[in-house]
Amino acid sequence: MLEREAVYDMNRIIAALAVGLALGLAAQGAAAQSPENLVKYRQSVMKAIGGHTGAIAAVVKGEVAYGDHVAGHARGIKEMSLIVADIFPPESGPDGFKETRALAKIWAEPDKFKEAVTAFRKAAADFAEVAEGGDMAAIGDGLGALGKSCGGCHKPFRAEKE
Amino acid sequence: MAPATPRSRGFAPPLLTVTLLLAAAFAAGGGCAAAAQEAADGPVSRGEYILRAAGCVACHSRSKEEEAFLAGGPALKTPFGTFYAPNITPDPEHGIGAWSEGDFRRALRHGQAPDGAAYYPAFPYPAYSGMTDSDVGDLWAYLRTVPPGPRADRPHELGFPFDLRVLNRVWQWLYFAPRRFAPDPERDEAWNRGAYLVRHLGHCAECHSPRGWLGALDPARELAGNPEGPDGKKVPNITPHREYGIGGWSETDLAFFFKTGFLPDGDVAGGAMEDVIRESTSKLTDQDRTALAAYLMALPPLALE
Repeated sequence: MLEREAVYDMNRIIAALAVGLALGLAAQGAAAQSPENLVKYRQSVMKAIGGHTGAIAAVVKGEVAYGDHVAGHARGIKEMSLIVADIFPPESGPDGFKETRALAKIWAEPDKFKEAVTAFRKAAADFAEVAEGGDMAAIGDGLGALGKSCGGCHKPFRAEKE
Repeated sequence: MAPATPRSRGFAPPLLTVTLLLAAAFAAGGGCAAAAQEAADGPVSRGEYILRAAGCVACHSRSKEEEAFLAGGPALKTPFGTFYAPNITPDPEHGIGAWSEGDFRRALRHGQAPDGAAYYPAFPYPAYSGMTDSDVGDLWAYLRTVPPGPRADRPHELGFPFDLRVLNRVWQWLYFAPRRFAPDPERDEAWNRGAYLVRHLGHCAECHSPRGWLGALDPARELAGNPEGPDGKKVPNITPHREYGIGGWSETDLAFFFKTGFLPDGDVAGGAMEDVIRESTSKLTDQDRTALAAYLMALPPLALE
């Protein structure tokens, strides 16, 4: 009997530990998805896109002669364009963490926002294709179209710099 | 449409049919290949370019929808109140369809409405007053071809005493004299073209310069930024000052920015400048964008935040 009780207790301890561990992980998960972290992640993604466009711009302007890098940067932008729709969960708005330039309008007018994101995704795909071709004049013009789609979101949905 | 008429009359003599079809094609405008050819560098297409260079679209169109094109603008919030740019389509009732070319010239050159009233300087006529005769004529020719937008103007919402339109006369007397553009023979062609684009057509100073208490621009601080720009936003200093302005930019950076909206660091313009790039500078020739950049980078650098 004693032995049995000991086993029973052991099971209870294991169960309790398991529950505790699960709760702990869940709590940690929630902490990792804090509005602050979501905003920072979003900013990292945006900086990645900006880094690629800045690099392409340097090539197009003739500041550096890395013409064969452009297609790779363009693929990077295209990849990032596929996740942009994911990185605006409602809790990542200015109510959740105020150090963001994302405007509450994003969540108040989801259809318009979605439309702008879709336009960016299309522009990024088109641009990647142009970049693959390697024609610098076409890349310069394509960058104009890409810039327009960036502005299509940043103008209505991003606060201006202070 | 008109071409359906001759076709539906199965017994019309061939000559009459052809004549009617031709007439219909001409009436439709540009239906004839020869007419279209001529228009490619005629006053209408030159005028369309002037419309873009003069940045008319963003202020006079409330949205990107086709029917809103030039049929009256969105709110322009200023420290004096909210302005709504009027309908400038040829709609005879709501637009400027009943105007003469002389009326149009007086509006751009002298800030004067056809009824003799003086415009608010929210309409950048002080800058437009320096437009060349041919540019004004071409712009007028183009505006006659825009689809009429049957939308009534929204009245401005201004606080006292700025709602007293008659005071605009006083303002003009104090601050306004028509400017004519005279090229500087000491400077090269690009600089002169840039000067015309920046100071007259593009009216950059209207947003990028601080204003005095009655809304007049301060010539000594031209393009040195405006802490209280439209919609209460801060507008940056665009003189080539290293610390306060765009002195860290190259002319290529600027021309590229005007084309694509991308800043040197890969970020993109937002705010009102996004409108300017989309509706104006991105539609100009590379040559004109280079001229804009050359003029701006040759300005005296002003140390104003």
